[in-house]
Amino acid sequence: MEETALNHIMDGIDIETYLTCQNEEEGKFLARKLGEELNLGEVDVMYCEFDGFGVRVRLRKYIVKPGDKYNWI
Amino acid sequence: MGKNILCVPLDPVHDVGLKIIRNALLNKGHNVDLLMPDLPNEEIINFALKKKYDYILVSRTLGYGVYELLAKFIDLCDAAGIRDTAKLVIGGKPITPQLAAELGFDKGFSSSSSIEEIVSYIEGKEITSDMNKYKKVKKDFISEHSYQFFNKEIEQALNIIADKFLNWAKDKTSDGILRAELMRNYITSGKRDSKAYEEYLKLCDEEIKVCNTGERYIKGVRVIEEDELLKLDNFLQNRIAYQPVKIQHSNTHPLIFKFLGSGCPIMDIVHGKICERWGVDGFLLINPSWEARYEGLLHNYLTHQNDGTITSLENILLVKKYLLDGTYLTVRAHRGLNTPETTMLAGEAGADMTKINLVYGSLGAGTDPERLGVDGLQAIKYAAEYNMPFDIPGNDELSGVPAYKTLAGLLINVMIGLKVGAKPIPKPLFCYGPHIMINGQMDKNYIDYNYAKIQALREIADLPIWPGEPIAFMTQSEERVQSANATSYHSALAAFLGVDAITIASTDEAYSRGPICVASRIDSLRAVQDAFKFIGDTKIEPTKMCEVYKNEMIENIYSVLSSVAREDNLPQAIYKGILGNKEEDGAYPGTFGKGTVRCK
Repeated sequence: MEETALNHIMDGIDIETYLTCQNEEEGKFLARKLGEELNLGEVDVMYCEFDGFGVRVRLRKYIVKPGDKYNWI
Repeated sequence: MGKNILCVPLDPVHDVGLKIIRNALLNKGHNVDLLMPDLPNEEIINFALKKKYDYILVSRTLGYGVYELLAKFIDLCDAAGIRDTAKLVIGGKPITPQLAAELGFDKGFSSSSSIEEIVSYIEGKEITSDMNKYKKVKKDFISEHSYQFFNKEIEQALNIIADKFLNWAKDKTSDGILRAELMRNYITSGKRDSKAYEEYLKLCDEEIKVCNTGERYIKGVRVIEEDELLKLDNFLQNRIAYQPVKIQHSNTHPLIFKFLGSGCPIMDIVHGKICERWGVDGFLLINPSWEARYEGLLHNYLTHQNDGTITSLENILLVKKYLLDGTYLTVRAHRGLNTPETTMLAGEAGADMTKINLVYGSLGAGTDPERLGVDGLQAIKYAAEYNMPFDIPGNDELSGVPAYKTLAGLLINVMIGLKVGAKPIPKPLFCYGPHIMINGQMDKNYIDYNYAKIQALREIADLPIWPGEPIAFMTQSEERVQSANATSYHSALAAFLGVDAITIASTDEAYSRGPICVASRIDSLRAVQDAFKFIGDTKIEPTKMCEVYKNEMIENIYSVLSSVAREDNLPQAIYKGILGNKEEDGAYPGTFGKGTVRCK
């Protein structure tokens, strides 16, 4: 198996950032798009709060889930 | 004989770290000189040459140009011959042993290094950085409490309820009880009698039977391969906890528990080992919710792609095997149709505790009150037999049951437990439950009402108290910092109140669409460590409302218990909604196993 950093992730990645946008809906759209642009595929928006300027977001991508065979072990 | 040590703060301003180290070394009888901050290198070298120093301790926060500054310092020490007699040591915020070596120092300490480690190094003693450094010994927090009741009216009502219940249950049994005994005979006979297992399977639902004979598994369940177990063993053999953390800032601070129940025992174990390093004291092993609906348990090393880890004997033994001796393990048993067997398996696997609540298990967790009555009683008897205290979660409050009814339920479990020789631990909630939201007891602050619950219990009896489950329930969001903060504030309150233990959430506990990640577990452990340090041994002053809430609570608990005591038996009281009703409290008596209790 290729030795990648991703293979060392125990379970999931959280991405926390601030995205400028017009409203929460756009913020969520951008958050998901960000996941794709980072080559993570579909990410889940755990938390998203619009404040008038943009959104504070927490995104999650599971690399492995319980019950899978783990790359790191 | 004391060493000669020169402390050199190369930082322009700060020398507090070296002052603390100097005091520690002076206390140990060493000779220490501390220079003023930010002297030129040449002045330092001149001073260092005045005496034969054994160690020169340099502190410096790394920043722009500092690498060169330190390299020059090392060169000057070399040129002056200081290195021939003195070891050069550096400490500071981003310093690592590797960076110290690259810079040419003999040793490096980071900001997370303890004073004890630095002193040990100076004195030439071995620096321990494994779990042995903070070898945990389980604290017998149960025996610190007498279980004496101070409120005699409540004690009397509880005696009536418990006696009626024990009398009602004495001639009753269920398939769950029979299976537990068959399984115990099977696993303890030494020969694994296949006839006993066949008898066991006859009492199981078809879905469980086919799983246990290996024909077909419930969706998402699979057997863990031997290779996976070997890899787990290898993974853990090759790693050791580095500089383990102690969360409690004083001996009066509570033990910290977390849930394990990812679905996979391997993931649970690895998360568990990481949490041990970050200071956790124990775990609650949580089974899948579907396990509650079936008659019979699955056996084998099993993993499961959903919430809750299958509590087979093999899985419990596996988790127990890898946790440290000083880490507690409690196994949830009070949900569903396998409560006696789960408790028995926990006992056989050497678990420390088990989790049973006859009232909540019926009202909030779906099991028929009569069935959980007889099964739960047998489970509590097993808990007593295996010397496992049983913890009683008050999570019915989360469905809308008022705190006083929940506390009444906890006390009923306590009295039943005491009557059969068990050691019960009530777990009042530190939460923002629906009843509280509607009635506004936490509109002004989150302290008075939680505080009042603990004070009420303490006025009623001397019991171990373990708020849960987890603390701060319904005050946490999916936002990481807010979630960690909510946990830390509630843990500070728990520390001040001097409760015995708390269960804490991870910072992704409020996120319900996926499993807990280990980074989120670490977040909340770190938050609690800081909260304990922050609160230390100081006090929190509630408002006058705390006393009002406490008195109301005791009065209402007595009223509820009096009503329960007038009923023929506990299940009847639960069916009637005395401990939580459908209309006002959103509490429904469960239906799993309805009509399955029979006479012996």
